[in-house]
Amino acid sequence: MTDTPPDPAQLAPPAPPPSPASTVRALSCPNCGGIVNVRAQGLTVSVLCEHCGSTLDATSPDLQVIARANEALKKPQIPLGTRGTLNGRVWEVVGYMERTDEEIGWAEYLLFNPYEGYAFLVDDGRRFSLGIMLDRLPQSSWGGASLDGQGYSRFGTSYPVRVTFVVGEFYWRVAVGEKVDETDFVRPGTMLSCEVYQTERTWTRLDMLDWGVAEKAFGIPGRRREYSHPAPHEPSPYKRQLSESLIIGLVALFTLGFISSLGGREQQIAQTNADVVLDGAEKNIVIRGLELPAGRSRMAIDADAGAIDNAWVDLDYSLTDEKTQDSVDTYGTAEHYSGSDSDGPWSEGDPRPEVSLSSIPGGRYDLTITLSAHRWNKTGGGQVPTASGNYSPATPATSSDGRAPVGIADMNNAAQSSDPSANGWGSASASGGEAIPVSVTIKRGGVFGGVTFLAFLMIAAWPLVILFKHFGFEKRRKAPVSGSGGSSDDDDDSWGDDDR
Amino acid sequence: MLDATCPNCGAPIRFRSNDLPVKVCDYCRTSVLRTGDSLQAIGKIAEVPDDVSPMQLGVRGRDGAHTFELIGRVRWRYADGAWNEWLALFDDGSTGWVGESMGRYMMLRAIDHSGMRTAIVRQLRDGQHVEVGEQATIDGVDYWVSDVKDVTVVASEGELPFSAPLGLAATSIDLNGHDGECASVQKDKDGEVEVYTGRYLSLAELHATGLRSFEGWPMPDLRA
Repeated sequence: MTDTPPDPAQLAPPAPPPSPASTVRALSCPNCGGIVNVRAQGLTVSVLCEHCGSTLDATSPDLQVIARANEALKKPQIPLGTRGTLNGRVWEVVGYMERTDEEIGWAEYLLFNPYEGYAFLVDDGRRFSLGIMLDRLPQSSWGGASLDGQGYSRFGTSYPVRVTFVVGEFYWRVAVGEKVDETDFVRPGTMLSCEVYQTERTWTRLDMLDWGVAEKAFGIPGRRREYSHPAPHEPSPYKRQLSESLIIGLVALFTLGFISSLGGREQQIAQTNADVVLDGAEKNIVIRGLELPAGRSRMAIDADAGAIDNAWVDLDYSLTDEKTQDSVDTYGTAEHYSGSDSDGPWSEGDPRPEVSLSSIPGGRYDLTITLSAHRWNKTGGGQVPTASGNYSPATPATSSDGRAPVGIADMNNAAQSSDPSANGWGSASASGGEAIPVSVTIKRGGVFGGVTFLAFLMIAAWPLVILFKHFGFEKRRKAPVSGSGGSSDDDDDSWGDDDR
Repeated sequence: MLDATCPNCGAPIRFRSNDLPVKVCDYCRTSVLRTGDSLQAIGKIAEVPDDVSPMQLGVRGRDGAHTFELIGRVRWRYADGAWNEWLALFDDGSTGWVGESMGRYMMLRAIDHSGMRTAIVRQLRDGQHVEVGEQATIDGVDYWVSDVKDVTVVASEGELPFSAPLGLAATSIDLNGHDGECASVQKDKDGEVEVYTGRYLSLAELHATGLRSFEGWPMPDLRA
C-alpha cells in the first residue's frame, strides 16, 4: 500500500470540483476513429457512431464495437446534441431512430436532461408528440385504458413495430431490425402506448405538442398545418372554433330576438269593411292617415272574405307616403272553391290572404284598396283559377258605399288613385249581383317571419359548417392507419423529408 | 456515530450509524469493517466510474415526514446496463435505498419478510425460476414482475450495510404496481433474500438538495 496519508491540514472530505462537470464526454469510435460524444455517461448502454454507423457498447470502458458498419448515414432533422425547451424543461437530443409499422414510418428522438431523465420526441412527419415513460400501469376499462381518471379508447389492434434506422446513444441495447409489439390507446391530445419487447412491457404517455412548438424549441422550420391525415390522438382543430361559433351564434340569436321584440307587438291601426258585388263593379277604398313610427317598420294587410265560395276577390293595395307621394303596390287574392268529383268532395283556396310589407319608413300613409269580386263558372271554366294565374284585370269601376271609419274615404273623394282606370263615378251597384262582405285589417309592427327565419339560418350556418368539419376530422382521426397510404419500404422516409 | 481514522491511510473516517458496519475510505478507497470499536481494512474498492447522475454523497431530501441524507452508494451492472443504489440515512436513524435507473428514482425500504407467503420470495429463496409478468402481493399491494436479472457490483463508496467489492454477485427481481409502487427482491451469493418496497419519485418529490451541478444545465430548485 503506497497511499500517502493526507496532510492533516486538509482533512476535510475531498473538495468538490471547482467547475461543474460536463455531461458530454468525447470518445473516439474504435471503428472509424471519429469523435463520438457520449452525453449520458453511465446511463447510456448503446452508442451508434454518427460517422460510420457502428454499434458500440457504452458499458465497456473502451466502447467495444458490437456491430461494424461503414455506410453513408442520414442525418436527423434535429441534429444530435441540440437543446430545446419544452414545457419549461430543457432537453438535449441524444439519440434518434426511425421506426415503421410496415404501413407508415415515423421518427423518435431520445431526449435527455440529467435532472429529468429521458423523454421521447415523436415526429410523425406532420406533428410532434412528447413522450414520457410511465412509472404506473394504466387500468384497463371497457376494452380501453384509464390513467389519472381519464379514459382512453383502444386504437386498432396490437401491431409490430420495427426499427429501421438508429444513430446516437440509448439507455438500452438498440439495433436496426429490433421488433416490439405496440398497442395504442388514445384520447384527443394524448396517446398511451404499450410496448412489449420479449418479456418487458413499457408504457409511454405521448402528449401532442401544439403546431410549431417543437420546431421552434429545436430550431427547425415550422410544419405546414394540414388535417387530411390526422394522428390517432390529434385534438380536433375545429373544437375550439365550434365552441366559439356556438357562443357567437347564441349571442347573435339573442340579439335577433331582442331586435325582433323591439319591432314590438303587432298592433292594429285600421280596419274597414266593404261589400263587393260578384262580377260587379270594382270598388275603391282609401284609408288615410296611417301612422308609422320613425325608423322602419313592418305593415301587414289582412283581408277576410270568409263567406265566399267558388269565387275570388282581387285586392290591389297601394300604400302612398302623404309627404313624398312615393308609393308601394302589392296585391292579394281571397278565394275559395269547392265541389265534388269522383274522388269525393274537395275544396281549395285561401279566403283570408295576408300581405306583409317590410321596412316601411316612418310617416303618414294613405292606403288605397281596389276590390273586385268574380264568380267561378264551374261548368264553363273547368279549371280552378289560381291567385297567381288569374290576375283579374280591372274592369270599369263603380264604387259602392263602404262604411267608412275615421280616415277612410270612398274613392269618389280620393285625391289619389293608384289605378287610373278606377276613377269611375260610383253609385250603388245596380247589377243585382250577390254582395260579398270583405273586411281588411291593417296592422303595424311585429316580427317579419321570413326575415327572422333567414337571419336564423345565417346565424346557424357557421356553427353547422364547423360541426361538419369537426365530425369529418374525428372520423378521419379514428380511421384505420392503413388508409393513409404510407409506403411499406424498409427505407421508408415518407415523413419528414418533404418538410425540410 | 463513531469518528476514527482509516487503518490503511490514517485519514479520518466517520461511521454515522451503528447499523452500518462498512465504510469505504474517501481517500484510499479501502473498505473498512467495524466490529464494535475495532476497525479492520478488508480490501480495496474500485472508484465508481463517473456517470451523469445528479445524485452524490451528501445530497439531502425528504420522504414523507422524514428527512434523509445520502451516505453510501453501490453501483450495479447487468448484461444490458447499470444502475446506482444510494443509501439514505433518515433522521430517525433508519435507512432506505434510492434506486436510480434510466434517469428515474425509487425510494425503497427493506421490509421483514420472515412470515411472508409471497410465492416469488419463496421461489427465489429456493432457487426456482421467476417469470416476468408474474403477480406478487406484498403487504397487501399487488405487483407484477418486470425484470429478473443477474447483477454484479461495479463499485461502491461511503457507508454501507455490507461490503460491496467489485464482482459481488446477486440476483435481482424488479416489480411494479399500478399506482407508482415498486418493489425489489434480491438474493445475495449466500442465499440471503431481502425484500424492499417503495415507490417511484421524481427528484422534485424527493425534495433533493445538494445535487451535482453540470456545465450548461440549469439546476432545478427542488427545496421543500
